Amino acid sequence: MAEKQSLRMVLPLEQLSAFSLLLQQGVWLRAQIGCSVASLLTEQFGIAEDYIVERITTLFLDCRPIDDLETSYVSDGSTLALSSAMPGLVGTTMRRGSHLAAMRGDISGQVQQPVESGMGRIRIKLFNLVMAELGATFLTQGICLSNAELDNFLSAKDDIFWQSVAATMVGDLQIDPVSLVKYIRSADPRAEILLQVEFES
Amino acid sequence: MDKILRIDMSATGGPQQSTEKAGEFAALGGRATTSTIVAKEVPPDCHPLSAENKLVIAPGMLSGTAAAISGRISVGCKSPLTGGIKESNAGGQAAQVLARLGYAAIIIEGLPEGDDLYKIHINKDRVEISVDNSNKLLDNYPLIDKLRKEYGDKVAFMSIGTAGERLMVSASIACTDPELRPTRHCGRGGVGAVMGSKKIKAIILDDAGCTNRPPRDAERFKTANRAFVEGIRKHPVSGEGLPAYGTNVLTNVLNEAGGYPTRNFKTGQFEDASKISGESQAELEIARGGKATHGCHRGCVIQCSGIYNDKDGKFLTKQPEYETVWSHGGHCGISDLDTIATLDYWDDNIGVDTIEMGVAIGVAMEGGVIEFGDDEGAIRLVRDEVGKGTPLGRILGGGAGMTGKAFGVTRVPVVKNQALPAYDPRTVQGIGVTYATSTQGADHTAGYAVATNILKVGGDVDPLKPEGQVELSRNLQIATTAIDSTGLCLFIAFPILDQPETFQSLLDLLGGFYGIEMTGDDIVALGQKVLTLEREFNKGAGFGPEDDRLPRFFQTEKLPPHNLTFGVTDAELDQLYNWD
Ligand code: SF4
Repeated sequence: MAEKQSLRMVLPLEQLSAFSLLLQQGVWLRAQIGCSVASLLTEQFGIAEDYIVERITTLFLDCRPIDDLETSYVSDGSTLALSSAMPGLVGTTMRRGSHLAAMRGDISGQVQQPVESGMGRIRIKLFNLVMAELGATFLTQGICLSNAELDNFLSAKDDIFWQSVAATMVGDLQIDPVSLVKYIRSADPRAEILLQVEFES
Repeated sequence: MDKILRIDMSATGGPQQSTEKAGEFAALGGRATTSTIVAKEVPPDCHPLSAENKLVIAPGMLSGTAAAISGRISVGCKSPLTGGIKESNAGGQAAQVLARLGYAAIIIEGLPEGDDLYKIHINKDRVEISVDNSNKLLDNYPLIDKLRKEYGDKVAFMSIGTAGERLMVSASIACTDPELRPTRHCGRGGVGAVMGSKKIKAIILDDAGCTNRPPRDAERFKTANRAFVEGIRKHPVSGEGLPAYGTNVLTNVLNEAGGYPTRNFKTGQFEDASKISGESQAELEIARGGKATHGCHRGCVIQCSGIYNDKDGKFLTKQPEYETVWSHGGHCGISDLDTIATLDYWDDNIGVDTIEMGVAIGVAMEGGVIEFGDDEGAIRLVRDEVGKGTPLGRILGGGAGMTGKAFGVTRVPVVKNQALPAYDPRTVQGIGVTYATSTQGADHTAGYAVATNILKVGGDVDPLKPEGQVELSRNLQIATTAIDSTGLCLFIAFPILDQPETFQSLLDLLGGFYGIEMTGDDIVALGQKVLTLEREFNKGAGFGPEDDRLPRFFQTEKLPPHNLTFGVTDAELDQLYNWD
């Protein structure tokens, strides 16, 4: 699926929660693949190292909890989930470098050899405090959706959401909400669109 | 807490009460007290619903003091669900009030003759045990509404719903929260059925005229409490994650790890997990004018609970916890938060354990009673079958094990007949060791993430050794048993796990209160002692190594997405209790 179009929306920051389900389920991003998780987060996504150390304490790469971000590599199609520290025995067990990591040894991500590099797509899932704190950054950078997914997302939004939209643009063209939905529905449902959301505080 | 109240329900002429000195129990609490008394006074081979069983209620070592988050109450007995010893604890106001009244424990023994239903009213001057048949077959919410009119709003209630009266082995004992709602439950193991067998519908605890228990060393205690609270507040789990999202914050993470048991433990991921996650739940609660941050008792500084309102903004239930959202949600293929909240309300109202009930419904779905994902069907089963005590309701109320037998289900997730909680042991093998070997039956809180690293329980464990799973589980079970005796909420585990200074402030709190020096070794010794007593009781009740096992399907059925089976061997499991 090639990227064909872009949709830009401007919304107040309170509407970040409207994207919560999308962010939890995972959003696709274009990224340089073949790099380490550490490099992806800091160099490509611009997340501060301190924040990663203190806040993103639970990470899953393709459903495997990872302990060493330098030796875990992202491939085309990888899913990376980011979470803060979790409660409970199992939550603690999943933490990066947990002293209880042995308890989930069978599913832990292993040290890998670097994988082939190039441009690709990765899916990012954001949970809990990390979602609240980084969700806007990822949405501003832009996420890839199929028209069908975007239609599902927009169709579920209520009047409060639409009333709070400050601007909507397809490419460089300003478009009103009704026309936007019509436009998305008339497009190829499988074709991909880049959604960028700017949040005004 | 210098006295013990003993109530003999069998006495000729009606229930008799006596008060005795607390003795060794004056400086104990919670699980240490309940398990010691049960092990000493209850014949392990008795029938759990017979006169020989005793119901022991004990506040924690720090309950009724100014110590933060110290309001857990423990209830102990021989469990009618597992047939072994049971300690079930809950939040709510009861522990603080009972401790301020000066009681280290209430021991209820015997069975009354006849069909009368009793209530027990305890205040600082007297204990009154009276017949009140007007409470018969009332569920918890209407019961508490009625009792509030009689006793006012400045009391704490412990009560059973209709499930307890009907002696269902999944029956809980409800404890009221600060708003006097029956939302906190000693849920596990059927303790409500034991209370029901003794024909006690409610205990009314009134501490008017009582003050906080005074510490021996007030200055040390105060300083330690301040440091303890600071430690809790600055930790990201207890200071931010739990208050913002509650325990249901775990849904997304367990699902991502592939360890979220779905549709009766068939897979480790639920496609709709994000719809019922703590994040989605908190947003919905706030949008409807409820609360995503709320304490189950006064003095809780974490406040992992919340208020869940219905679509019209009216109170529906307290914020369902992770295990409840799982048992009624992913386990049953249900992805609607309102359905789950409605089931949580009915569980609390009827008075059943939300884990046992949810798992039983999932097993019933597997047995073809209703389809997986049938929201209305699930509500009907709880409200109309269990709630009305129909034959089907009694099967479900008999727990997951009984439900599996009734409907010919082979995949029945129970250990010692108690339903497994929300973490698949094939993904996190270490928790499987705890499920299998705990004296309590499958229980996620039996080996919590307590600071074994700081305590050095059992020395330093090599996490790369295959037997590391057993060592870790053993150490966690020992440390957790000790924390269960303090009356402190287990969620203090996270700051004391990561912050040695907060662990020290916990020791100082205990030391300052009792005027003694506590060390990590003392905590370990207490945990080992209680576990040994519990284990001995279970042996007397007929349990052997063959009961310390997970159901067979965990070894034979691979769990997607990681396609793992449970790999800890029986010989390794048998090494868990190796200190005696
Ligand atoms: S942290 Fe949660 S469970 Fe623990 S005492 Fe507070 S509200 Fe109750």
